[in-house]
Amino acid sequence: MKKEYVTFVRRLSDLGDGKETLFIKDLTPGPRKYDTKLVRAELSRNSGNLPDGDTLWIRSETGHLHPQPWSIKILEELPPYAPGQPWQDVFSSLRHLKS
Amino acid sequence: MAFSDLREFIAALDKSGDLVRVKKEVDWDMEVGAISRRVFERAGPALLFEKIKDYPPGYAILNGPVATWRRVAIALGLPPDTAVREIYAAYEERREKKLKPVVVKSAPCQENAMTGPEADIYRLPAPMVHDGDGGRYIGTWDIVITKDPDTGWSNWGMYRFMTHTQNMLTGWPQATSQLAMMMKAKYLPRKQPMPIAIVIGCESLCHMVATDPYKPGESEVEYAGGLRGAPVELVQCKSQDLMVPAHAEIVIEGEVLPDKIAHEGPFGEYPGYRSGTMSEGVLVQITAITHRTNPIITLSTLGVPPDDSSIAASLTAAIAMKRGLKRHGVPVREVYVPPEGVTHLIVVSVERGGSRVARQVLDYFTARRVMVSKIIVVDKDLDPFDMNQVIHAFATKCHPAKGITVEHYEGRANALTPCFSAEERRRLKGASVVFDATWPEDWEEESIPVKSSFETTYREAVRQKVLANWESYGLGGKP
Ligand SMILES: Cc1cc2nc3c(=O)[nH]c(=O)nc-3n(C[C@H](O)[C@H](O)[C@H](O)COP(=O)(O)O)c2cc1C
Ligand SMILES: [Mn+2]
Repeated sequence: MKKEYVTFVRRLSDLGDGKETLFIKDLTPGPRKYDTKLVRAELSRNSGNLPDGDTLWIRSETGHLHPQPWSIKILEELPPYAPGQPWQDVFSSLRHLKS
Repeated sequence: MAFSDLREFIAALDKSGDLVRVKKEVDWDMEVGAISRRVFERAGPALLFEKIKDYPPGYAILNGPVATWRRVAIALGLPPDTAVREIYAAYEERREKKLKPVVVKSAPCQENAMTGPEADIYRLPAPMVHDGDGGRYIGTWDIVITKDPDTGWSNWGMYRFMTHTQNMLTGWPQATSQLAMMMKAKYLPRKQPMPIAIVIGCESLCHMVATDPYKPGESEVEYAGGLRGAPVELVQCKSQDLMVPAHAEIVIEGEVLPDKIAHEGPFGEYPGYRSGTMSEGVLVQITAITHRTNPIITLSTLGVPPDDSSIAASLTAAIAMKRGLKRHGVPVREVYVPPEGVTHLIVVSVERGGSRVARQVLDYFTARRVMVSKIIVVDKDLDPFDMNQVIHAFATKCHPAKGITVEHYEGRANALTPCFSAEERRRLKGASVVFDATWPEDWEEESIPVKSSFETTYREAVRQKVLANWESYGLGGKP
């Protein structure tokens, strides 16, 4: 069974095919639904390119759901936070984490 | 008499017919939110969901404790049908009073405790409120307590908090909030975590005080005592050096981390939109969760009005604005914050109007963090609580060119105002406007248009005669 996750981006164009570091929420039903993980993962907008990947739904910063989910293959689970001071933009911190 | 806890308040709502207990099992994942939203939009009762899917029987969620004027009146100990103007007056009068809290040794809020690695937020039925929110919001109608390490002053504020992991929350006290000021001034420079308590499920006046913009250094717990007419009982937290209301349903203790951040939001917010504030907040490491047996989560499924924000929090905002305007030298008579305007639209009634006063009003609203978008200034010849009269004055007395003044600003705009672009919201760039619906101060009395209403256009003798004879005209209704 494929698992399902959701992630939030400011704009869809912020997300690219290939390796990304991102927060994902686990959509498995039950009392722990929406639990968050920070992962390094392989992403693809075409599920054919990641046959053993799970489903990744994407929402914008206003919560708009993009109709087409992507595929995600988790490579590594990281501690569930990024370095940074309160009120800093989490996304730019994640970009620094990557490089 | 003051309600000692949320349960007494719920019993009062039950008795007055302002509460419905939902006994059928409901899903915390969107179903609670959808039901609550629909009931808000019909100005319906408070809802106590008594059986939540995935959670033990007895664990409950209360939506909309003070989302109607009737429930605000009950919270204040007034008759449920008290008029809005009288509710405003009662709050204004009691807001000045202070009563010191009483410290107790043992407390209902600590009947059950999960400490250290045992703490698991998923053992509480935090709802997924709106489809598309960034996560489950445990804090929507809460009291968030932090303490100044130098002065010992504790701040109370109401800020949203979301479940992140089993033992972490993320939240969004705005960068202009007192919590943010304290963290930036007192903890970040020392690279220290800031102790925090997120308190859920007190009687309603404590929560209303947390929405009220008291000045830094002002002790909200004392004002809550004054407003209630009885001191708030406080108890020491289990894992942090903080005092919390003893009769709360749930207390989440933790630390705001100075060097780590995580995803937060977006959330369907009080202006009635999800306008995109996300991942620019704080991360809290939970150190303990304590709760009453069969805890009740207080929830406000925010959105289009009316809800607890547009009713109860508009009241606290209005009274604070009236005081502020007075202090600023504005000849203010009354301030009304119509729920339909979600604290974006404010009506200010003044003793004497004119462009200078309108400018003064705009200056007051734009001096610091700006939450307000549009202000209508009206003369004392109308009832500012009656929006029909306000719209009439706005339509007729506000000069389309000379009666409108705009103020632009950056770095202190309301990040949730839907008409600002995403870029403006990020830079806290915005503008506010005053609509001067008063007569210019330099108009001669003899040339001011005369309002054609029964009260203003006929002489006393004619009015008296009509009223005295009213029944004999065969028109029905009261004279
Ligand atoms: C239901 C509700 C939710 C709120 N959520 C937030 C929030 O998430 N962040 C925020 O900064 N203010 C929020 N506010 C507004 C603050 O509670 C208000 O500005 C209060 O004065 C904050 O306390 P402070 O003055 O100590 O910062 C909310 C108000 C209400 C009524
Ligand atoms: Mn405060």
